[in-house]
Amino acid sequence: MNKQESEMAKEKEVKELVLARISVMPPNYKLSVGNKGTFTKEEIINHIKERDEIGNQIIGIEMNFIKALTSGKLLETLNR
Amino acid sequence: MGEILLVTRPKFDDATEYLSYYASLILKEADNLRIEKKDFSGKEVTSKNISKFIEKKNPKLIFVNGHGDPNSLEGDEGEIIFSVQKNVHLLKDKLLYARACNAGLIFGKEMVKNNGGCFIGYNTPFTFWIDGKYSAIPAKDTLASLFLMPSNEIVNSLIKGHSAKSSNEKSKKMMIENMKKILQMEEKNEPGAMGWLGALWNNYEGQVVHGNEEMYF
Repeated sequence: MNKQESEMAKEKEVKELVLARISVMPPNYKLSVGNKGTFTKEEIINHIKERDEIGNQIIGIEMNFIKALTSGKLLETLNR
Repeated sequence: MGEILLVTRPKFDDATEYLSYYASLILKEADNLRIEKKDFSGKEVTSKNISKFIEKKNPKLIFVNGHGDPNSLEGDEGEIIFSVQKNVHLLKDKLLYARACNAGLIFGKEMVKNNGGCFIGYNTPFTFWIDGKYSAIPAKDTLASLFLMPSNEIVNSLIKGHSAKSSNEKSKKMMIENMKKILQMEEKNEPGAMGWLGALWNNYEGQVVHGNEEMYF
């Protein structure tokens, strides 16, 4: 796998991980993302699939959380 | 008469509806504490109204609710009320909490440059989940309160006489408590609970203080 293929595979993996986290949300819940608006689960999923500005912002928020979870930073904060 | 609290709370979409409701709780608390205050809400949140009030009354604490970006803070329907180029001089030596997106990145630093003021705000988008069943009645939305009560704690603590640093810490402590509550909900199989943590963590990490952290109201 070359560098470009590896990056594409990683991006696909990230997108799927975030989609999996969002897909378990009940349909009546909405996410307010700053000045971008307030979005239903279906809208969030569409934005992520399209990788538009809103989708990328939500992916960024989720990825930051996943990093905190896997690095132990979240646990360290909760145990303070 | 003591120092004045100024609150701006436009109300033109779901997000600002919620922020406006939660800001109203602070206004009630200010009443209880007999603090002099001015509330600009809905269509009243214009650059002209706000700048005129600051020039005339010199409020010490300003609580801005609404949308924002790295360079600016907005009022009704996206009108810029403060930016690095507009009205920032009016905020010299003031204490401002911006419950808005990203303004900590540039605006907050600019606001406190070469003066004794303090900015509390976010380096990230301010994010929260709401329960759509209650979007017309934010008071009943217990999901949204997990995100918005910790942000209210900043001003709640400031008007009770705590420093900016201490108020920021109290707010972050409440966020940690709410993250723990969410994890307990997850253990009880509350649908989607784990997904809420990302938004709360984003606010926790993004909440910053610039300038004079020891400033009091």
